[in-house]
Amino acid sequence: MKLLVIEDDATTGNYIARGLREEGHVVDLVTDGRQGLIQATGNTYDVLVVDRMLPEIDGLTLLKTLRGTGNLTPALFLTAMGSVEDRIGGLNAGADDYLVKPFAFGELSARVAALARRPQALDQETVLRVADLEMDLLARKVTRAGQEIDLLPREFALLEHLLRRKGRVQTRTMLLESVWDLSFDPMTNVVETHISRLRSKIDRPFDRELIQTVRGAGYRIDG
Amino acid sequence: MSGRMARLWRSMPLRLALLLVMLFSTVSLLSLAASYAVTQASFEQAIRADLAQDMAGFRAAPSARAVAFLVEAESRATDPNRSILSYVTPGGVVYGNGAIARDDEGYHIITLRDAPGDYAGDYLTLTDTLHGGLLTVARSRAEIEALRAGFVNILWISLLPTILIALSGGLVIARRSKRDVEVIGRTLDSLTAGDLSARARIDPRWSDDLRSIGGKLNLMAGAQQHSVEALRQVSSDIAHDLKTPIQRVAVHLDDLERVVPPEGETRELVERAQAEVNGIATVFQSLLQLAQVDSGSPRQRFAPVDLNTLCATMAEVYEPAAQAAGKTLTLHLPDEVLSVEGDRALLGQALANLIENGLRHTPEGAQVEVTLELQPEGSGPDRATAPQLVVADDGPGIPEAERDKVLRRLYRLDSSRNTPGNGLGLALVDSIVKLHGAELRLTDNSPGLRAEIRF
Repeated sequence: MKLLVIEDDATTGNYIARGLREEGHVVDLVTDGRQGLIQATGNTYDVLVVDRMLPEIDGLTLLKTLRGTGNLTPALFLTAMGSVEDRIGGLNAGADDYLVKPFAFGELSARVAALARRPQALDQETVLRVADLEMDLLARKVTRAGQEIDLLPREFALLEHLLRRKGRVQTRTMLLESVWDLSFDPMTNVVETHISRLRSKIDRPFDRELIQTVRGAGYRIDG
Repeated sequence: MSGRMARLWRSMPLRLALLLVMLFSTVSLLSLAASYAVTQASFEQAIRADLAQDMAGFRAAPSARAVAFLVEAESRATDPNRSILSYVTPGGVVYGNGAIARDDEGYHIITLRDAPGDYAGDYLTLTDTLHGGLLTVARSRAEIEALRAGFVNILWISLLPTILIALSGGLVIARRSKRDVEVIGRTLDSLTAGDLSARARIDPRWSDDLRSIGGKLNLMAGAQQHSVEALRQVSSDIAHDLKTPIQRVAVHLDDLERVVPPEGETRELVERAQAEVNGIATVFQSLLQLAQVDSGSPRQRFAPVDLNTLCATMAEVYEPAAQAAGKTLTLHLPDEVLSVEGDRALLGQALANLIENGLRHTPEGAQVEVTLELQPEGSGPDRATAPQLVVADDGPGIPEAERDKVLRRLYRLDSSRNTPGNGLGLALVDSIVKLHGAELRLTDNSPGLRAEIRF
């Protein structure tokens, strides 16, 4: 993917750029809002990573200007604030997602990946598959190796979310946001315990683990 | 209605109007009484002068026979109700239309003709000896009595409309000033509730003093809004300025993590440092969130929140974690759907903090119960009901003396120093509850802690 990172703090900017490059992306890094706007309008990117506080042109104005010109490149907004107002302000300005500093790289990487593949034909598939696991969305039935697995509604939703994003890391906060519609940071390992329950049903009786833990980031399902 | 009247009664303009009515009535009464006394005195004087003149007329008669003749003639043409004449000759014969009888109680005028008995009313009398006989002339005071009735009528006619006009004027002014003062009151209410953009709409018809108060209120609100915004700006600047270095430390630690061997002391140190940085970031985030909740600004986003769904979601999110820790989390929901005006994310955060508190500070095997119910508030037969959210556990609880302190920021019980947490959880719950105009009560669940949120 081709990504643009607009971040004035050299340490953070380089860290993001290097991390994303290591994942195989092409990354342009600029350090002020004006350059960022010029880069974003003159090139085509898959995802923009924009810091809120930037010299020359701040992140909010940059995004508004960009959206005003019809540029709809998905944008991840970085901010030190993290208040709900701040979040709403960022989303209103045209950001697609939002990340509060300090963040772990795994969280940023997972969210960038989620943004890049956002427009997908979610509704066409009625059967989701990974390896020998099958989820029939119409019959609301899950089978693995031909055996039917009984899931609670929220376990079903959690598995569906992972299956629809097969191979891509989903962080704990991403799962809380999408599966439970909760945007807060729990102190307890709530997501871990839900995953562990799901695993006990779909993985433990079988020889191969489909739900994988990605250290420092989250979970993904893969065959 | 009676309440409204009572409020109106306490209003200043109405009281002033009543005071004026009382003053005016007293002055009117006094001046009327004085002029009545003066007029009455001069009336009496005039009557006495008439009597003296009558007496003088009779004195002109040459003999007792002549006096008797005159009295008899004149009394025939006189109404005894107005005037009475009587002459008692030296021989004891009585002439005239009345006689003066004297007994223990004083003089009485008694009738000689027509009807027997006393004449009604008071008379002014003059008695003198004339040619050896006793002549008495008397005139009725009826005119003076009529004068008094006239004065009383004047009093009513002049006073009643004045009282009515003053009272209704006072009422109208009281109503109007109450309405004007309410405009200022409502503005103050909004400002107190956190809407710092609220301003009093000053009506040009207001009195000068009210306009001046309204203007000053608006100036004050503007200054407050400005300083709160400045404070928010400063705190966001601080947050940015400190969070960026924290982010850098996290970056450096990540870099370090890549180069240290996967096992051993160095790695452990790096991981401990990473955990500390995360802890600092969490405290920072919580403090920022507290400041933001306390500013009252989330009220602008308030919308109806379905508490049943929220409780169910939270209980479901935490249930596996509770089970993994060997504890039981149970949920009790009412049949009807209870909702409040609020911020779903913040209410969820408050509930999460209470549940986490219950799970964290209790031993294995503990019960944590989340209950949503309709609780009566106030008293009386038509008392209202309000939703109440309760999170109760059967753990060690919080000693009564400490219950207020745990709501303070960064306060931790000695007994919980070794459990995770930063001492901001309950403070944030308290702030969120206050933001929603609700009340947080920590009580004894005997054993355990019972946290009640009363909306």
